[in-house]
Amino acid sequence: MQALRLARPRLPLRPASRAFAAAASSVHGGAPAASSSASPVIPLSNVEAMWERLSADEQLVIHQQLEELQKKDWKSLSIDEKKAAYYVAFGPHGPRAPTNPPGTVPKVILGVTGLVVTATVLFYSIRATAPPPPKTLSKEWEEASNERALEQKINPIHGISSEGYSGPGFVTHK
Amino acid sequence: MLRAQLASTLLRARPAATRVAPVFARPSSSAHGQETFESFTERYVNFFQSAQDLFEVQRGLNNCFAHDLVPAPAVIEAAVRAARRVNDYATAVRVFEGIKEKVENKQQYQAYLDELKPLREELGINIREELYSS
Repeated sequence: MQALRLARPRLPLRPASRAFAAAASSVHGGAPAASSSASPVIPLSNVEAMWERLSADEQLVIHQQLEELQKKDWKSLSIDEKKAAYYVAFGPHGPRAPTNPPGTVPKVILGVTGLVVTATVLFYSIRATAPPPPKTLSKEWEEASNERALEQKINPIHGISSEGYSGPGFVTHK
Repeated sequence: MLRAQLASTLLRARPAATRVAPVFARPSSSAHGQETFESFTERYVNFFQSAQDLFEVQRGLNNCFAHDLVPAPAVIEAAVRAARRVNDYATAVRVFEGIKEKVENKQQYQAYLDELKPLREELGINIREELYSS
């Protein structure tokens, strides 16, 4: 809060061009974002990379810097300043942050494909090691069952031994 | 006896309820108010020309781009000039991004960009693709 109060009155007094000369020199000097109370100038050249790590006070300072900048003729803004202005207003942070980190969709597709392949392999390998089906499931056995059922007159009213029956009886094979 | 008389006078004294059908319901009609594209354009051009702060401009843009149409270049120009008036570069870039979302195909977007090229050059607006291409 202290920093905020300090930063507010000082900022409009500082001419934007001088602020940017200072910003550029601090970039070349290798100094990262200067603390807002000492010098309320933060280089705008790489706001995208460091925005998330800035404190609220520093973000406020950047907002104010950009506000001052955008009052100038837009043709005189550098591409970095334009990018910074766009990023701060509409970049993918805060409520516009992407729900999933990049690379999520390929990961999901790959995972699902892997699971389907594993399940298929498991299914056929288990079937390959299974015992043969029981002998009563063969077509011959089922036809013999039909003959035996007719011999015994099984289900004579509606079923296999009834008059005009044309169903398959016990045969389940095609 | 007395009570019955009193009751009858009271009953008679009550004014006859003249029931009028309440006018809660609007009479049904098949005519729907339909705004033409031209009047829509005129409405938003006027809106953006009179918008005084960033909130108003962005509110107008939200409303304007919420319809099932692509705003006319006149509206876009008014919106971009409104963004210039309230000194917000990012909103001006965002307007072009909004057009890209609304148009049906790349040719239409390109047509908008060509149509508005003088405006972009006059105000020094780079579209988002230009900002992030390098």
